[in-house]
Amino acid sequence: MSNMLFLVLCSLQDPHFAEPVRLRAGEAYVRVESPGWAAPCWHDVDGDGKKDLVVGQFHDGKMRVYRSLGEGKLAEGRWLEAGGKVAQVPGVW
Amino acid sequence: MDLDADGNLDLLSGSYSRHGQDMAGLFQVLWGEKGGQFRAAKALSGSDGKELLLPAGDSDEVDVERICTRPFAADLDGDGKLDLVAGNFAGTFAFFHGEGAGQFAPNASWLEAEGKRLSVAAHGDPFLIDWDADGDLDLLSGSAQGGAFLFANVGTRTAPRFAARKTLVEPAGEGAGPDELGDGHLQGPGGSTRVWCDDLNGDGKLDLLLGDNVTLYHAAAGVEPSVAQAKLGEWRAALARLMEQQADDWNERYEELEKARDAFVTEDRTGFVWVLYKK
Repeated sequence: MSNMLFLVLCSLQDPHFAEPVRLRAGEAYVRVESPGWAAPCWHDVDGDGKKDLVVGQFHDGKMRVYRSLGEGKLAEGRWLEAGGKVAQVPGVW
Repeated sequence: MDLDADGNLDLLSGSYSRHGQDMAGLFQVLWGEKGGQFRAAKALSGSDGKELLLPAGDSDEVDVERICTRPFAADLDGDGKLDLVAGNFAGTFAFFHGEGAGQFAPNASWLEAEGKRLSVAAHGDPFLIDWDADGDLDLLSGSAQGGAFLFANVGTRTAPRFAARKTLVEPAGEGAGPDELGDGHLQGPGGSTRVWCDDLNGDGKLDLLLGDNVTLYHAAAGVEPSVAQAKLGEWRAALARLMEQQADDWNERYEELEKARDAFVTEDRTGFVWVLYKK
């Protein structure tokens, strides 16, 4: 897609939203392993009263947990575990 | 969500395939335990004891309507029990009535507006929330093309009825991206969006989280970035020309083109997470 088309599409965005912000955890952007497809959810998974970011991905059907540190900051990610191992959703492909 | 109402947080996911069987995705659950731990993923069964599946479509080939992209649990019909709304590759949405304590009716109906199935371009990504604060649950979705979409519930808390699709965030297009190296040019979500909705900054307004899928390019080892960027532009132009052609050796020419790209850039496929704060 050309830069011009990209800019046009950005300008069509619902004016009720502020400009998109790409999430970081620590200094690095939150990102998933190749070949991509990030699926976020926002829920308190560690029971500390603050909602955390969990991001699912295509590769191996794994999920990464980014704990909320407060004030909009996220800790570095760790793989979600199930049964003592890195959790995987089978049949993602 | 607590799918079986046992007080423990459960994690629900779709899946694309049943290995060794017809292409159809199961509903996978990581059941939560006391202390916040999860058990290994297990396929969710309907109240008939059989693994829950989306309704079969009429395709003789790969049944894209059965490929479960995402199930979402919420009490859509207001009877106090969690129901499931599941998306699929076709971009439509199936409703499974909840019977309580993690039990769901095995047969689903399709969510519709004015007699037509609700749909996005492909890869439905349902999320239920009272977006317009009128007391019932509305349906949000990402799509393979990206963006975010709203199907407003214009019925009631106990008798949902959906309006036609409205675009909340314009889709960027599948695999879209300008001819620039690295990721500094990214201004917003790319294609293949997955949506979550919550008041993320505590201002009382619902915001959107959008996951995406992007392909980044970096200069190959030993190649000046300016040279790599120029060659990437030429390469994209060549690809565009090829896409307009029909030739017996099209596949071979495509593979050659793909291979040629490796001489000046490396491909980096990933996905990011974006926040769109409601003003």
